[in-house]
Amino acid sequence: MRIGRSQRFDQARPFLTLGLAFAVWLVAPVFVRTLARASFFEMTAPIAAAASYLSDLQQFWALRLHSKPELIEAGRDLARVDASYALSVQQNSALEAEVTRLQGLLGMPPTAHFRFEHARVAERDFSGWWQRMVIRKGADYAIPVGAPVVYSGGIVGRVSEVHAYTSVVQLISDPGLRIAAVVEGDTRPLSYQGAENQVFGPARGVIEFVPLDVYANASEPKVLSTSGLGGVYPPGLTIGRIVHVESSEDGLFKTGEVELDPRLADLTEVTVLVPSNPG
Amino acid sequence: MRVPLVLFLTLYLLRTVFAEANSALSGVHVWLFAGGLFVAYSALMVPFQQGFAASVLGGLLCDSVAPVPFGTHAALFGAAHAAVYNLRERLQRDETAVRVAVVLVLNAALFLAITAATIRHVPAAATVWPRLLSDLGWSQAAVALAAPWFFAIQVRSLELARAVPSRSA
Repeated sequence: MRIGRSQRFDQARPFLTLGLAFAVWLVAPVFVRTLARASFFEMTAPIAAAASYLSDLQQFWALRLHSKPELIEAGRDLARVDASYALSVQQNSALEAEVTRLQGLLGMPPTAHFRFEHARVAERDFSGWWQRMVIRKGADYAIPVGAPVVYSGGIVGRVSEVHAYTSVVQLISDPGLRIAAVVEGDTRPLSYQGAENQVFGPARGVIEFVPLDVYANASEPKVLSTSGLGGVYPPGLTIGRIVHVESSEDGLFKTGEVELDPRLADLTEVTVLVPSNPG
Repeated sequence: MRVPLVLFLTLYLLRTVFAEANSALSGVHVWLFAGGLFVAYSALMVPFQQGFAASVLGGLLCDSVAPVPFGTHAALFGAAHAAVYNLRERLQRDETAVRVAVVLVLNAALFLAITAATIRHVPAAATVWPRLLSDLGWSQAAVALAAPWFFAIQVRSLELARAVPSRSA
């Protein structure tokens, strides 16, 4: 009888230990958990950053294999693009001055200004559960939590965590991310949320509260961009293309699907828009 | 203390390898999950307290890089560890094939448990299952290939650190 009890206790001991560990964890203060999380993350960060630097070095040596005529040709093309951008910058300055003058006349609040912080992507973590990436700039470059992240194709996502010298970016394909958006050529806001990350093909999002007179399909898609509402994302940044809309169950609005840019899955460099004081 | 530390270092290596693989595979929409490998050796071959500590530390490492409440992976790995530990005397745990089978079952169970914990955030949950099943299939294949190598790494690391645990609890 005594042996039977002892055996039963031995069998239950792992689960008793597990229960005890749960209980200790539940009563642990928040700062202990926060500190533990930050410590464990910082443990993984050097490896991700080192691997990213090695990848950059590999790319550098691969580029060195190009012949001089190829480099001269590339430099010439780049000079042409540079010249056209220089012209755009001049026009942009004139337009900004005009906008500031009109804002002053109308007594409008100033528009948000951003500092552009370019950052290399150190690690991508694109599962069916979440979609995020680690970039190689963090508190050392004063990156704030919530800052929008963009690339040449539009919006990438927002900074969700900032660590010592890395940050985590939550992508627009992540189901946990919502953005106020507008359809191209329309000013009425609707809601965008990351949704489906397909096995084949680019990630998709869903839109809700679409006005009933908005039509789009795969052959005639419409561009979805940020509305600027909420103050996090500047207006006019491309989110994706609306490829399907249908009436919602209540019939008051439509819902739809948004196809995101496939380049999001292969990004190597992004730009963080760090809010700064105007002027 | 030395056994959990050495095992944790091997789990750190495992996380690094899979994180780099996932980063490289992002363009082809494949993501690998190796949760079963974080638990299997510790639960099958190491005394309970030491193995449990290693599994929970490995879970906390996974928690720190995932957007889930901190402690989710640790709790699941701890529960999986306790369950496998209770069954281990009934298994031929010296056989690599048995260990690999345990890893595969654990990996699938942990994958589904984390899916259950995270899927409520997805607006159209039914549409994500093809991707999740694809990830699970690729993960099982990768884990089956990596398991013998990773068990060897763990055994060799413990030998090098002169921390080979006794077989009994």
